[in-house]
Amino acid sequence: MATSTTSSVYIQVIEDVINKVREEFINNGGPGEGVLNELQGLWELKMMQAGAVVGPIDRSAVAKSMAPGAASNTVHDLNVPYEGPDEYETPTADLLFPPTPMQTPMQTPLPVQTPLPVMAPTPLPGTMENSYNIPTGGGTPITPSDYSSINENGNGASDKAGRPSPYMQAPSPWMNQRPPLDVNVAYVEGREDVDRGAANQPTTQDFFLLSAGKRKRDELSTQYRPGGYIPQQDGAADETVDKLEIGQGSHPQPGHGLKLTSRIPQLDGPIPDPYDDALSTPNIYNYQGVVSEDYNVANTPAPPELQAQTPALINQNDVLDDDEDEPLNENDDDDDLDDVDQGEELNTHHLVLAQFDKVTRAKSRWRCTLKDGIMHINNKDVLFNKATGEFDF
Amino acid sequence: MATFELYRRSTIGMCLTETLDEMVSNGILSPELAIQVLVQFDKSMTEALDSQVKSKVTIKGHLHTYRFCDNVWTFIVQDAMFKYDDIQENVGQVKIVACDSKLLTQ
Repeated sequence: MATSTTSSVYIQVIEDVINKVREEFINNGGPGEGVLNELQGLWELKMMQAGAVVGPIDRSAVAKSMAPGAASNTVHDLNVPYEGPDEYETPTADLLFPPTPMQTPMQTPLPVQTPLPVMAPTPLPGTMENSYNIPTGGGTPITPSDYSSINENGNGASDKAGRPSPYMQAPSPWMNQRPPLDVNVAYVEGREDVDRGAANQPTTQDFFLLSAGKRKRDELSTQYRPGGYIPQQDGAADETVDKLEIGQGSHPQPGHGLKLTSRIPQLDGPIPDPYDDALSTPNIYNYQGVVSEDYNVANTPAPPELQAQTPALINQNDVLDDDEDEPLNENDDDDDLDDVDQGEELNTHHLVLAQFDKVTRAKSRWRCTLKDGIMHINNKDVLFNKATGEFDF
Repeated sequence: MATFELYRRSTIGMCLTETLDEMVSNGILSPELAIQVLVQFDKSMTEALDSQVKSKVTIKGHLHTYRFCDNVWTFIVQDAMFKYDDIQENVGQVKIVACDSKLLTQ
């Protein structure tokens, strides 16, 4: 966010910089004005995304209307979905868990008055349920459709988690039983569902189909996934122990047994597995294929289109996948840390950049006079010509 | 004219730096030209702050850390209160980085 004066100064600075480097871009075999325009467009786009420039830029009509214009639209599109799901997600999760008291006496047409049930100021959960459970009774069929669209966009997954729908492959009972208190768990559930969903499944399989060894892993993972979510929380060792027992039970097929055994060390660390396999079976290539696929997955964590649609979900998906594929954890941690750092820099880190005229101290009382500063506090950029600071040490 | 690279850490400077990084890594901009753009930004930003900005700010708070190194003061102020334009903002912790203004006039 920025005050209007800050925004206008920023715009003028951008303009000034662009104008003064134009000569360098055009002459002396420079890359040309097109690259300069691209630079300006990208710069302004980032500024609007950071909220430091209040778009659209008026001067955009003068010359480089293309980039800033498109940029402003993009910015709005980006901002709305980011906040939208967050706002909707928590209330819906809360509202959807009490579907059991559906027989509340709130059969009145009250909810029809509010077209957006989620936005209603603290309505009773029962009311919400009724509002989209009685579309026929209500005078306006808009309510349910609105609601469903919201759910489709924002958190269809959590909705499904709340009330099992035909899309659910495994409407396991623990989903309903899980308390709505833990927001993080709710997030993970939603992501798991989305991952399960038909939309994302094909892309993942496309990735996996690259090698034959992956198919085995897919089968395994599908076995794990529907009920496998719980063991994953408890720790991967449980799963592998079960598998190992099964494999050893079927001794006549050493290949399967080894495959399952290999899976255990794979979780602990991929190195010992290939040796075991190499000693006993020629299946080593399959296993190595699995390992290398894991790294491939690490290199390409998510398809870009998916990231564009729902970045938060994709990130979590990556985390889940990497939890399964042990070798990737380090990278994921780094990514997470990087994200956190960026977030701090952009949002929560308060910073004042200035020049000092004088800094004095009397006992524990510090005084400083600053000038020509840029402050980034509370997610706002504020410029000042002079500032005085009085601090107690 | 001497300039500070200080303002490159601001929002506008970071956005410019990211843009230049992308364009250089994409090969459409030479690193030398990117540095020229950054130097020009240092100048333009300093001029704009000097000539176009008139507001005044007061900052109060508890000084947690002070440091003066290479002519740069760094303060970390806790429970800081900013006042400007009849607006008051409170911040749990803020970092203030300030270069010596006399270095510019020399």
